[in-house]
Amino acid sequence: MKKNTFYFLVGCVALVLLLIFWYSIELHTSLFIELAFIIGVILIILARSKVTDRVDDERDIKITEQATIRTMQIFWIVFCLFSIGAVMELLHIPEFPRLSPSMHPPVILPPRLMGYIQLGLLSMMIFLYVGFRIYYAKKYGEFETDEE
Amino acid sequence: MKNKIKIFRAMHNLTQDHLAQAIGVNRQTILAIEKEKYVPSLDLAFKISRYFGVNIEEMFIFTEKTPTITET
Repeated sequence: MKKNTFYFLVGCVALVLLLIFWYSIELHTSLFIELAFIIGVILIILARSKVTDRVDDERDIKITEQATIRTMQIFWIVFCLFSIGAVMELLHIPEFPRLSPSMHPPVILPPRLMGYIQLGLLSMMIFLYVGFRIYYAKKYGEFETDEE
Repeated sequence: MKNKIKIFRAMHNLTQDHLAQAIGVNRQTILAIEKEKYVPSLDLAFKISRYFGVNIEEMFIFTEKTPTITET
């Protein structure tokens, strides 16, 4: 399979996933999109292994590695911040009476808000990864001009 | 890490693309190594040196000053 055919296939898979996502929203069931996402990822991995005119050398691997590590480092911090707050609300540790005499009920995050937060985290992860990938690609000479 | 890939390529009349295909990397990787933007792994450094039939130290020049065993 040629590289361009693979990119075309990835585009088609993304489009189909988007349509299934829409359909899942209409039906109010997430099972379709979850299954479709797994199938889509497997399809892309299989198609990627069939690409013949693509060489993944050590520099490409290093760029991917570095971008992934940096993304995960930042993601973990943000994710832990959110999780610590959520766990605190979940456990609802009693407050010290002297410090705060009035007990207020715990704030329960609505599922819609949780969804928005997860969407934010996911978007942040994608933007961070793309950003770091561009940064490391530039650092390791991806956009160098050739005098040949 | 300095290197003489460009000189050896010129001596053998090789393009970056030819060299990249011969050792199984992308042309951009050869360009990045030549421009000292990327330091190759020991494996790749040996591959490049052996392709031109020279020792690794003839192809790559380690510039950083590190203490030797006699100095310590």
